[in-house]
Amino acid sequence: MRTAALPAPVVTRPRTVAVGSLLATGAAFMAFAGLVAIYVQQRQQARATGQEWFPEGSVELGPAGMMMMTLALSVVTVQWAVQAARNEDRPHGFVALAVTLLFGAAVVNQFWFVYSDTAFAIDAGTAQLLFYAVTGSFVAMLVAGSAMLTVTTIRALMGSSGRDLAQGVQAAAVYWHMCVFCYFIVWYVVFINK
Amino acid sequence: MTLTEPATADPLADPDAGAAAASPAPSADSATSTPDSAAQVLAQRIVTSDGAAVGRLFVAVSLLWGLFAAVLAALVAFGRSDAVEPAELFSGLNAYFRMWTLYRMSLLLLVLLPLLLGVAMVVVPRQVGASNLAFPRAALASFWSWLIGSVIMVVSVLAGGGWGALDGVTRNEGDAMALTLLGTAVVIVALLMGAVSLATTIIALRGPDVRLLDVPPFAWSMLVASAAWLFTLPIAVANIVVIYADLRGRPAVAFGRAEGPDIWLQLDWLLEQPAVYLMAVPLLGVVAEVVRGVLGAGVGRPEVPAVIVGLFGLLAVGGWSQDYFTAPQDLRDGLVYVAFGLAAVVPVAALAGFVGLQVAQSRRSVPQLLDLRIIGAAAALALLAAATLAGALRVVEPFDLLESAATWAVFHGVAAAALLGAFVALVHWSDELFGAPVSQRAAAASVALVGAGGAALLLSDLLSGFIADEPDLMALALDGKVFLNVVNFVGAGLLLAGVAVATAGVAQATRAGTGTAEASAVAQPAAEQIAAP
Repeated sequence: MRTAALPAPVVTRPRTVAVGSLLATGAAFMAFAGLVAIYVQQRQQARATGQEWFPEGSVELGPAGMMMMTLALSVVTVQWAVQAARNEDRPHGFVALAVTLLFGAAVVNQFWFVYSDTAFAIDAGTAQLLFYAVTGSFVAMLVAGSAMLTVTTIRALMGSSGRDLAQGVQAAAVYWHMCVFCYFIVWYVVFINK
Repeated sequence: MTLTEPATADPLADPDAGAAAASPAPSADSATSTPDSAAQVLAQRIVTSDGAAVGRLFVAVSLLWGLFAAVLAALVAFGRSDAVEPAELFSGLNAYFRMWTLYRMSLLLLVLLPLLLGVAMVVVPRQVGASNLAFPRAALASFWSWLIGSVIMVVSVLAGGGWGALDGVTRNEGDAMALTLLGTAVVIVALLMGAVSLATTIIALRGPDVRLLDVPPFAWSMLVASAAWLFTLPIAVANIVVIYADLRGRPAVAFGRAEGPDIWLQLDWLLEQPAVYLMAVPLLGVVAEVVRGVLGAGVGRPEVPAVIVGLFGLLAVGGWSQDYFTAPQDLRDGLVYVAFGLAAVVPVAALAGFVGLQVAQSRRSVPQLLDLRIIGAAAALALLAAATLAGALRVVEPFDLLESAATWAVFHGVAAAALLGAFVALVHWSDELFGAPVSQRAAAASVALVGAGGAALLLSDLLSGFIADEPDLMALALDGKVFLNVVNFVGAGLLLAGVAVATAGVAQATRAGTGTAEASAVAQPAAEQIAAP
């Protein structure tokens, strides 16, 4: 039986990229939330049985706070990139993109320092394993966000129809904001509450 | 996209697709030329940006995986019988466990979800008035990454991997298990990409006058299912990340212990209540749609199935039931788990009542109602109702069925119902999907075989759960319960026969559809020559 095909719309809804990016970002957030939930549950279980989670003093709060500040600044610069792409303003767009990527790279670098500083062995225990699983997943998400932002911004600013392609930058920015929110959770759950 | 591909892409859905849509239409010569037509067809399949073509790829490959899963089902059921020891059937208990788990994961991730997704990719854009899927390239990427991930998953399991082992693993098996986990994650992420593409089509590419609640029931059910998948399946990815990190950072400390069933027990929530109902959400849409299509529009209020499907989708969101979110026993004795188990009966019963009312109001005679699609939809709904009832019994504490084979009664009932629903959908929309109708004989046989097989599997597993003295998920301690084991094996055999017949019917319809298209392509230029002055 043939479906009664409706006529194709004359005007399509302009929200396609926004809707798609929100759905995909939501799914990525669910995965990260699942990881954090496992971390919290395991920590609660360990503490309930009187076990130590991280060795005293092994996880410092200073670098983690610096990363939070860095990512908070990147929220502004990524929106700067979105606005520049909308206005097809190449100088501002490239500067905003470069600064955002710099912030992203700084956070990855800080994580490198944190890993060296803590010097956890991944098989030292559940806490160490989950520490790497949660923070490593965050770093992977951030790197993916940086790549997405780079591609979409350059396409928007170098292409001939920048205003349409700016939706892509906006989608990458939504994902970036989600990453920052995920780090806020990591900062509170892993570094502050330990 | 090649120049020979039909240019139907929505320019705003994807800029590249829009550019492709503006490209010249295929000439009759290119369509009928023989020397490189096979290469062109292959290239079209690989790089198409037509969402419907991607959907057809999903349907074809998932049916093939369906045959594979059904063969595994029959072998696993045979291993449970008294005729052979499980360890002898697959050269060891570990190997039996691998096949037992592979069958279940395959049915969910390689057969049912992609099959329903594929049907929806063809049908839903037309239903909502969109000229193509949103993000057709992402949909194509989802198909290829799903295919690659599924091959990795299956091959690694056959090579000694899997989701844990019952007694000891070698170093090589541990590596293969890591590969299995990687393949599973790739498959899930790929299906999620397809779900995003589909949900975006329904939300953002609807016709200008089509409200969200006005979309046909199948499109609505796919939107609800996509949302439920997007909320649930990423949790399994999170599980896999933790397991993988532990497995690779040897020695495993908590999550990646491969020498026991631990890995499987961290992922089996996907196949248990409430997440098991994820497979069946689109089935409700298929049932409502088929009944409406056969009886004619205007019977019953259209909002009712929308609310019912929405409620069922809500009850299928099952990420919270993952064991690590709370201690397993606390979780399954908890009020929420029991409430979800009991409540799942309500939307299925409500839809059955609604459909029954529609049939009664339509004043059709019995012979008029004996349409194969109506019968298939009714059988699928009955199986789903039986599965949700079994699920309700399973969560009632005095019956003590939680760790028994009754778990798989629910799984088999839901899976068979979803498979039946998918077959009914293939018949109902066969013109859109294959260009020609599926043979009525093949359709009737597949519906009868899958329905009977699903019922046999459900009943044998449920009764096995009741008579088991101790937790026995694999039902291997039921030696001596010859009758139940035989019924189980017969059920798996019927399922295999049903899938085989359906696949053959689809292949035949596809060949007929391709032949019709080629005949039209040849006839069209000839007609143009005749019409030319």
